[in-house]
Amino acid sequence: MLPLSVKDDEYKPAKFNLLLKLSGWFRSILADKTSRNLFFFLCLNLSFAFVELSYGIWSNSLGLISDSFHMFFDCTALLAGLAASVISRWRSNDSFSYGYVRAEVLAGFVNGLFLIFTAFFIFSEGVERALEPPDVHHDRLLPVSVAGLLVNLVGIFVFHHGGHGHSHGEEGHGHSHSLFNGSVNHDHQNKHGGHGHSHDEHGGHGGHEGHGGHGHSHGGHGHDEPHRHDELHTPGKGSSKQILQGVLLHIIADTLGSVGVIISALLMQKYDLMIADPICSMLIALLIGVSVVPLLRESIGILMQRTPPSLDHVLPECYQRVQQLQGVYNLQDPHFWTLCTDVYIGTLKLLVAPDADRRWILSQTHHVFTQAGVRQLYVQIDTADM
Amino acid sequence: MEEKYSSNVLSGGKLGMVEVPNSRLTRYIVLLIVTKVLKALGIFESYDILKVVHIVQFIFILKLGSAVILLFFQKPFSSGKVISKRQWIKLLKHAVFSCVISLLGFFGLTLCGPLRTLLLFEHSDVVVLALLGVLFTSSGGGPSKTRGAALFIIAVICILLFDNDDLMAKMAEHPEGHHDSALTHFLYTAIAFLGVADHKGGVVLLVASLCLKVGFHTVSRKLSVEIGGAKRLYALDNLVSAIVLLPWVIVLSLTTESKVESWSALILPFGMIILSVMILEFYVEAICNTKMEAPRCARYGAIALFLSALLLANFWTHPLTDQLRSMSKPPQQVSTEHVLSGGVIVSAIFFIMSSSILSSPSKKGHKGTLVGYSPEGTPLYNFMGDALQHTSQSLPRFIKESLKQILEEYDSRQIFYFLCLNLAFTFVELFYGAWTNSLGLISDGFHMLFDCSALVLGLFAALMTRWKATRIFSYGYGRVEILSGFINGLFLMVIAFFVFVESVTRVLDPPNINTDMLTPVSVGGLLVNLVGICAFSHAHSHGGKSCSSNDHGNSHHGHSHSEHSHGGHGHSHGGHGHGGHGGHGGHSGHGSHGHSHGSGGGGMNANMRGVYLHVLADTLGSVGVIISTILIRQFGWLIADPICSLFIATLIFLSVIPLLKDACEVLLLRSPPENEKELNIALEKIEKIEGVLSFRDPHFWRHSANVIAGTIHLQIMADVVEQRIIQQVTAILKDAGVNNLSVQVEKEAYFQHMSGLSTGFQEVLAMTQQMESIKYLKDGTCIM
Repeated sequence: MLPLSVKDDEYKPAKFNLLLKLSGWFRSILADKTSRNLFFFLCLNLSFAFVELSYGIWSNSLGLISDSFHMFFDCTALLAGLAASVISRWRSNDSFSYGYVRAEVLAGFVNGLFLIFTAFFIFSEGVERALEPPDVHHDRLLPVSVAGLLVNLVGIFVFHHGGHGHSHGEEGHGHSHSLFNGSVNHDHQNKHGGHGHSHDEHGGHGGHEGHGGHGHSHGGHGHDEPHRHDELHTPGKGSSKQILQGVLLHIIADTLGSVGVIISALLMQKYDLMIADPICSMLIALLIGVSVVPLLRESIGILMQRTPPSLDHVLPECYQRVQQLQGVYNLQDPHFWTLCTDVYIGTLKLLVAPDADRRWILSQTHHVFTQAGVRQLYVQIDTADM
Repeated sequence: MEEKYSSNVLSGGKLGMVEVPNSRLTRYIVLLIVTKVLKALGIFESYDILKVVHIVQFIFILKLGSAVILLFFQKPFSSGKVISKRQWIKLLKHAVFSCVISLLGFFGLTLCGPLRTLLLFEHSDVVVLALLGVLFTSSGGGPSKTRGAALFIIAVICILLFDNDDLMAKMAEHPEGHHDSALTHFLYTAIAFLGVADHKGGVVLLVASLCLKVGFHTVSRKLSVEIGGAKRLYALDNLVSAIVLLPWVIVLSLTTESKVESWSALILPFGMIILSVMILEFYVEAICNTKMEAPRCARYGAIALFLSALLLANFWTHPLTDQLRSMSKPPQQVSTEHVLSGGVIVSAIFFIMSSSILSSPSKKGHKGTLVGYSPEGTPLYNFMGDALQHTSQSLPRFIKESLKQILEEYDSRQIFYFLCLNLAFTFVELFYGAWTNSLGLISDGFHMLFDCSALVLGLFAALMTRWKATRIFSYGYGRVEILSGFINGLFLMVIAFFVFVESVTRVLDPPNINTDMLTPVSVGGLLVNLVGICAFSHAHSHGGKSCSSNDHGNSHHGHSHSEHSHGGHGHSHGGHGHGGHGGHGGHSGHGSHGHSHGSGGGGMNANMRGVYLHVLADTLGSVGVIISTILIRQFGWLIADPICSLFIATLIFLSVIPLLKDACEVLLLRSPPENEKELNIALEKIEKIEGVLSFRDPHFWRHSANVIAGTIHLQIMADVVEQRIIQQVTAILKDAGVNNLSVQVEKEAYFQHMSGLSTGFQEVLAMTQQMESIKYLKDGTCIM
């Protein structure tokens, strides 16, 4: 029963078949709403950048060229998000036994880092300019930045909308780990209910009564319907809030940048306030920096296998409840971590009395922790006198 | 009374029970803030008045006015118990002291100006007592209090030294200018005798009188109990001090002629001062102290007072406010206004911070994590583990300890020394640049400083890796290393990208570079970086030797030269193939971190690799600059510079990719590639164990350099002892390098149970793929 190794060729298509691979990627991008949005927005951004670049080369204006390169750099964030949203849907395989779901966290992290870098550069440049305000030619600045603003506004609209939809749970994220994650399914957000999962094997679920409502802790997306996973990944579920958050932040930062440029250009034109430009950019940099911090914190926490913050206050209570079970002497080495958004995995060790009912303890323990929202739990039961 | 009371409330507040929600207190807080603002206004006003009115007269009027009002409100004679003669004598002493303190305070006001007076003198007792406790007792209430005290002292020093007030200089020139009385004269001579400028003398005076005031308040508590209430005492005290001051005032008014043109114009300001400074503040503070805890009250009050003082100081001399206060403006004013200097602002900020720190309740016992509730319903706290780690540490001790930790370990020591070298070079460059006033050098210095951030990050990560696992980070902080390597790699990529972009623009339009100064600086930078490369790759080459001698980790090669086997970041370029895991065995002396360094041989110490790559990139940059400088000088090829940078950017980019790839794989929970072969063999072995039917869902992932975690599910026959199987499997997998394993054993009964529950085979098959959640039939799990 060596599992899953057969599927290797699905995620690693043969190298020579580039066209097939590309079309496969394309299809998988278009399959999911988030990645579709990302992809279209990326195209928009890229085309804007190319237009800018070619116009810059044509009119031989260095400012435009460098701005277009800046745009390309911005596109990397989108690219990262897109790549992550595609990658995170890859199946798990021998090497990546948990699947690639972590990619979304990583993408959020990378985006956050990039934003921090950007903010830092902007800030230092702002300081430099504040000390020595350069003569900005504002004649061509305005149209470019207005165009950039428009592009970014489209992005904000799309992603905010997407994020909204996301919060409605139409992307029950993390379906890719379904392979191992069995019936502890992720659609506690599934308000639609109608994913077309036939719950024909309810007998099978009979064994699961213990799992009622893992969703509770997530603030009442209370759908504890454990349904089964078909091997086919239902498209339409995709990336998590981390990707979206990162991308959205990035776009907002860009928008803020454009707004700042426009404001400062106006100020400079109307009132000749040369200092407006550096001050605007410094403010924006600060704003970006501050807004990125929560995202970074969260993703670093996940990447470092931190105990999920949402479980922080629930766990002690759970420990106590487990320790109060009859026959349980002690609870040791609890490890709880987040696989990806809202998927928590835990291991712990129980020291029990020799005559204790191990199965009962085990089931109770699982019951306790599932109620807290832990998806996967491994309990080692040691007998005390061993 | 206050102290006892506050500590009572604090002990309640620790449990989070007594803490009254802010919303109910809002009106008191608003009242307090308004009062404090009014008080600041009053002090500013009184500073103006004190320019024309003699200080003793001023205090007399204040005391008298407030005594009249308080007599009217409190009726100290008609209500309460009769005051005995001894108490009257005490009261007299009390009043004399309070007179002296107000004299000192207001004299300080004339010397220092209202803003500085407010900053120095108007600290609540809680703050000062905490400060004194830190300074003069051994257990001052923890490091945070010490920090607060340090801030306070820094603030005082700021006012004392860095406050270059023009007025002070002016007054110091003619200190005998407008001395009105013997008292003033005496104080002036005393200050002059001490050899300080009178503004600084004023600061010292204010600090001293602040301490006196606090002591006085503490002493007067007993008397207030005797007299029958603080309010009654206050009323009587004002009355008595007015009487005490009366003879002096009479003598003064007889001997000196007043500068005041019309006393009637001063009635309104006096009334306002009396109301705001003497009466309103007293009552509001009393109310707030009973409604809120004293520390909280002190915190809000101090912040409001200082902020309003800052604002007022900014706008007091503004023409607009002059129009508003058109009442009595003495003519000589413009020249003698105290200006708002940077030192004062800084010290005001420090005062605000320190007073909020000092007045915050000591957090002892607050940091425990809630474990749950006892059967009786009382909350239980856990004070172990991270709770202890997160308590605030004393800063010097922290620095000392972390320095010790840094030097303990080869890796971090290396980074630290190199960081020091780099910083020294940077500062030399900066100073030289500032000295010769060359912008190029300065900007290059800042660039170097920025580069140092990567080193700092690496150092920090190398330190943090050694932190013990806490409740929150239950696997320990080993991943910081990987994260830091990842961040460094990303960082380098971004830099490479920008360099690339810039060089592309320069290729299109090569700028004229000023080459004369570039060479020495870049040669210096190159030298520094070469030292770094030598240091880092020294270890690398040795590590390479030791690691290449045996490819895969589980054989314990106990190399004695533990120093050299660390940190071979360079391996990544050659072959990630050898996971120097065996190396760890030899390192047992190093504790957990030793492992991580050893595993650098396998390309796992992402942190060191990141740092090394960064240094390498810098070196390449210097080399590129030197080469292009030479080319430009010799042949005048301006294009050489951008081409060099292009080349370097590409090189950096390419060299970072393996690091990023490795770090990504770890972060994505890939099963460790260097152990893959053994793991496969181990899995085969497991299948062959007697009694094992099959296994599924083997997850193995590297948490940090020295932790490989894993889970596996086994299906075993019904008649086998689970414990034996678990032990065998654990041993096999441990040989393969997995050291944090959990085995979940399922007996065959499980399948029977499943098929009994559901009808078809398909469902059973489906269920086996979802087995994690089947709790009831799991027979045992094992975590090592």
